[in-house]
Order: sequence, then structure tokens, then C-alpha cells
Amino acid sequence: MDLAFSKADTEFRDKARTWLAENAPTGRPHHLCPETRTFDTAWQRRQYDGGWAGISWPKEYGGLDLPILQQLIWYEEYGRTGLPAMDTRFVGLSHAGPTLIARATEEQKAYHLPKILSGETLWCQGFSEPGAGSDLASLRTKAVIDGDQLVVTGQKIWTSYAGVCDWQELLVRTNPDVPKHKGISWVICDMHAPGVEVRPIKTIDGDYELNEVFYDEVRIPLTNVVGEIDQGWSVTMSTLSFERGTAFTLNQVTMAATVEVLIELAGSRRSTNGRPVIEDDVLAMRLARARADAAGLRALTYMAISRNARSSEPGPEGSMLKLQYSDLAKRVQTLGLDIIGPRSLALVPGEADGELVSHYLTSFSYGIGGGTSEVQRNIIAERVLGLPR
Amino acid sequence: MDMLPSTEQTEIVTASAAFLRDRMPVTSTRERFEMTPAYEPAAWAEAGELGWFCLGLPEAQGGLGAGLADEALLFREIGRGLAPGPFISTVLAARVAAFGGRPDLAEAIAAGRPVGLVVADTDSPITAEGHLHGALQLLDGDDGLVLLATATTAVLIDVADLTDVTTVPCTDPIVRLRRATANNVTPVVSVDVSVDPIELRGHVLAASMLAGVIEAARDAAVEYAKVRIQFDKPIGVHQAIKHPCAQMAIQAQLAGAQSLFAALAIDEGRPDAEFQSLSAHVTAAEAAESAASAALQIHGGMGFTYEHDCQLFVKRTLVLSQLFGGIRPQLTRLLALPAAS
Repeated sequence: MDLAFSKADTEFRDKARTWLAENAPTGRPHHLCPETRTFDTAWQRRQYDGGWAGISWPKEYGGLDLPILQQLIWYEEYGRTGLPAMDTRFVGLSHAGPTLIARATEEQKAYHLPKILSGETLWCQGFSEPGAGSDLASLRTKAVIDGDQLVVTGQKIWTSYAGVCDWQELLVRTNPDVPKHKGISWVICDMHAPGVEVRPIKTIDGDYELNEVFYDEVRIPLTNVVGEIDQGWSVTMSTLSFERGTAFTLNQVTMAATVEVLIELAGSRRSTNGRPVIEDDVLAMRLARARADAAGLRALTYMAISRNARSSEPGPEGSMLKLQYSDLAKRVQTLGLDIIGPRSLALVPGEADGELVSHYLTSFSYGIGGGTSEVQRNIIAERVLGLPR
Repeated sequence: MDMLPSTEQTEIVTASAAFLRDRMPVTSTRERFEMTPAYEPAAWAEAGELGWFCLGLPEAQGGLGAGLADEALLFREIGRGLAPGPFISTVLAARVAAFGGRPDLAEAIAAGRPVGLVVADTDSPITAEGHLHGALQLLDGDDGLVLLATATTAVLIDVADLTDVTTVPCTDPIVRLRRATANNVTPVVSVDVSVDPIELRGHVLAASMLAGVIEAARDAAVEYAKVRIQFDKPIGVHQAIKHPCAQMAIQAQLAGAQSLFAALAIDEGRPDAEFQSLSAHVTAAEAAESAASAALQIHGGMGFTYEHDCQLFVKRTLVLSQLFGGIRPQLTRLLALPAAS
């Protein structure tokens, strides 16, 4: 057991830190708009040109295939520099991309993977439906084979960034007459195809990142099916996580940095009684606990990565990281609100206090997106602890 | 960076767990609830023969030369096994004796001479002249030596030099408690924090034991949830039971990971060793309180009885959270430190 990194890893860290410092972009729009796409794709392109794209992707698909510890280091340095989160690039780089690598045909891979890495295309996810949330396999968006095409009709919801994306990993029901997990197909949907309509959803934080997507007889070539027809559930489940837990490092590092920013803020802001906020005992205790919790989350991340480095079988930490993170993130963003006190009444875009309020409001999504905390707890209870269903 | 135990370390953990099960089972501990010492002396001596009290002591000082991380793994097992005895203070006392220039004492302690732990009524019970002064509580130990470790120094005190030594019942039936008064007592031996961070090691060992207590609480609750039938179903089918069990599983991983991280930070002399050690104790104490409470609730009325181990999860947590100044002062200290490196 040790926490130290090798000489080669330390040199890699220095190299990554230098490159990131020299190439860090600034001026990302505060709210989602067409410029967000321009900004994000340019930033991805810069990483690609600089030889830093696809940190965990295999070399044959243009990635760097770095050893797991260097993936960790990359995300630590990325997070430390306060760079734009994965956001619009997340699905392509960390979900759809890895799925294509695992299950797509050579033609599909050759066409899509380089475009994802170079920032030419952005991807979104079409999984959830109004009637299929936690029970995803009950999805009903219908796809009927017509010649060499699928004709898709139905609706998806909670699709992040649908309006600025080019492609979608879309789950459709190709067979309604078999058990629900056995009639689903995983297809590549062109977001610019006729019949696709995106309707933004205004969320609690005033943003429009989430969308409903409607499909009115959208024609998708059968060559866009990934894996076999009706085998989409297994394609979804087989999404090999090339990131192997390291992408999560970004969340953890950002969280720890946020705690430090809040401690600094609490030292400079004054309470309504005129004294620095940090002198308030209750708030000080909460800040100290947040520090300890952030340290714990890092230890948990390191433990998960250590396990992944030794075997490809994921340990119990992986499934626990998301829960621990969303609980802590929620608590930390609430702390931010309590530090600024009555200044939280104004939600002015661009103002630092307004950003804190925005983060607080956004934090309500952490326990819902990507599988609710309740479902995560069921998974741990049933699959890790063996409790009865 | 690798936080997983090596094969050799895993074997030590397995062997330690087996020893605790055979020689210090909770059934034996219960039989001695009204007896002093709380542990069976022969079993304690065997732990000494196994090298448990000098595992992390450098070989030059007559120890086994392992790291604090190895001790952390051992202490997680001690915590999980609800084992009685002043393990933390004895291990730390061997270091104080060794680094304080008393190899004779170090050798005796390493061999199994028990050393109790002092919990002082103030944050600074040691005067500028290096004397111990004030009201004290002594956890376990005999009429020989007791250990006190603060953020600045660690000392061994002869119980014979204390006054008003009175035995009182301890909240935790696994611990024997005495009250005492120190009137400017000169320590038998003392070690400055710059020589060895005894107190930080104490926080890490306490955190490791708490991680073990959480594991025990989790396992008991999960087992009970699988076999307790109500309304013709095991209670574990309900999310109201499942979710706290899942939370306990997370808390066990969290406390275990952070106590190992802190142990390695001390072993490697990282600049954030203090930050990590205090974080470990704080995190583990909070997690253990929640886990012990949840385990008791899941056991229903049985959890509330003296007969069940749930009371021990709760009380072990209480004691381990009060060691080395308790949690609240550590929070203040943690907030004043520079950020983690």
C-alpha cells in the first residue's frame, strides 16, 4: 500500500499540468446557448490537436489508452485547473463512445469515433421516457422495420443538451411481444433527421439543458443499429466503462475545490452580526465536516481506482461513489447558500453569489440523474449485501 | 498509488480476525463485564506474543517495522471483533517509551504490559513545565502506566503518582474506567510531536476501530434483515430496511478508506498527514454513530436489550469518538489547517 506516484507518473502530471495551464479556455457562456456548442467543440478540438483526447480510449480508436493511474492524474489536474466540466461532451466521450467501442461494427466505429474525439460531433442520450424512468426497460418508443430502415415514433425525456447535439444513443422497442428486456434495440439516431423535434424543459435553476425529444416516423437506417436487433438491453448493460471509475475523479476534485472556495468565502464574508461568517460556530463545524467528507470521498475514489488497477472486476466502491458524491454535493451547495445569507435572494446571472444559488438549485438533480439515489441504494442492498428483492 | 492490501497484509488480516474470533470472542467478553481487567489476561499475552503491540514500531527499536497502515488494518479487525483491552494506548505507549529513551519499558510494553489511556478534562492538561495537571479519566490499564497524547506531546504517567483514583462504571461495559487527579505530576517519559506524531496515530487507530465497528453493525443488521420474518416476508425486502443497510455499507467503505489514506499519509510523511488523520477520526465517528443507530433500529426491540451486540456498537462508538480530545475540537483544528495536498 502506498499513496506515492512513480517518477514517470509524476512527470506525466507535470506535463499535463503545464499543458492545461497553457491551453485552458476561458469565457464559456453561463447558460446553454449556441455559443456553448462552439466553445465546447473548440475546447475538445484543442485537446485532440494537443494529443490529449481520449485519455482512456484504446489506441486503435485514436485514444491514449493511458494506464489507470495516469487517467486519475489527468482528471485530478483537469479538475484542479477549474476547466469546463464534460457537460455536452460527456455522452460521446464517456458513454456512447465506449459503447460503440465495445459493440459497434467497424464501419460504425470508423465513422463516429474519430468525430467524437476531435470534437466534430456531440452526442446525447435517449433512454428515459415519461413512463420509463427508474423502470427503464418498460420504454415504449416504437421502431418498426420498413425495408432497410427503422421507423421510430414516440417520446424521450430528460435528454441533456439535445438541441446542440448531432447524434443520439437511442433505445427503442422493436418487439412488443416478448418480455420487456428482450425487445429493445440500441440505435444511432441522427438528431437532424426529419421528424425529430426537441422541446427544451425549463428547470429549477432557470436553465434549459434538459429536453423532451419527440419522434414522428423518424427514419433510421438499419445499419445504425448497434449490436443485434432486440439485443439493445445487453448493449446498454455491456457499456464497458473504459474510464473504470477514473472519470469520477473529476467530480471528486471539483467537490474538494468547492469546499476550499467556500471556506475562503466564509473567511471574507461578514454575517449579519458584522463578524466573519467563519466565526459562526455552527457554520464552522459544517465547513470542517465538509472538508473531512471531501477527504473521505477522495479516499473512496482512490480505493476504487486501486481495485480497478488490479482487476477488471469492479469492487463495491464504484456503486457507492455516486451516492456518496450526490449526498455530499447537496450538503456542500447548501453550505454555500448559508454563507451568503440574505445575498441568496438575488439570482443575477454572472454575479458570484448568483452562481452559488444556481449551484444550490442544480444540486437537486444529483440524486435523480443517472439513476435515483433510491435505485442506487436498492442496487447496493440487493447486489452487494444480498438482501432479498 | 495503491490502497489495496498486499497478499501478505491480507493474510495478516485473516489471521488476526481468526485469533480474535478464537481467543477474544464477544461471548467471553460478556462473561467478564463485571470483572477487571476487561480482557482475559492469557489472551492479551498471546496478542503480545503475536507482535500486536509492536507491529508498527521500527525494527531498530525492537519492533516489527511495519507501517501504520498495517496497524490500521489490524485495528479494524479489533474494532470489528468488539475486542476488550487498551490496544490503542498500549501500542502508542510502546512508541513513547522507545522514542523517549526507555527501551526497557518499550520492550515490556511490546511484550504485553498493558497501558491505559488518559482522557483529560481539558485540551491542554500538560503545563508549560511539562507536568500533568487536572482531572482525568483512565480507560483500562492497571496500576502501572497510562498514556496521554495531545497535539503537542505524548507522555507516560505512573498511576501511583495520581491522587483520588476511583473506579467508576463506564458507559461501555467493554471498558474499565477510573477517575483520578493529577497535581503537577512529572511524566515517566515524554515524546514531542516533532519526534513522533503519537496523537495523530491515535486518531488513525481510533478511526480504524470505528471502521471495524461499522462493519460489524452492517453485518449484524443485514443478517437480521434476511432472517427476521414479519408479515410472512423477511423484513429486508422493504426499502425502509434496505436503504439504511446500503448506507452502512457505504459508511464502512468510507471510514475504512479514509483511515487507510490517513495511515499512509503518516507513513509517507505527507504534509497533509494531520489533515488526513483528523478527517479520518471525524468521518469515522460520524459514520459509526449513524451505522450503530441504524443497526439498533433494524433489530427493533432486540436491539434495545443489553443481551444484544447493538448496545456494544453504540457504546464502542461513543468511547472511540471521545478519544484524543473528542471530535468537536478536531473539527476546529481541521478547519484551521491548510487544504489537503
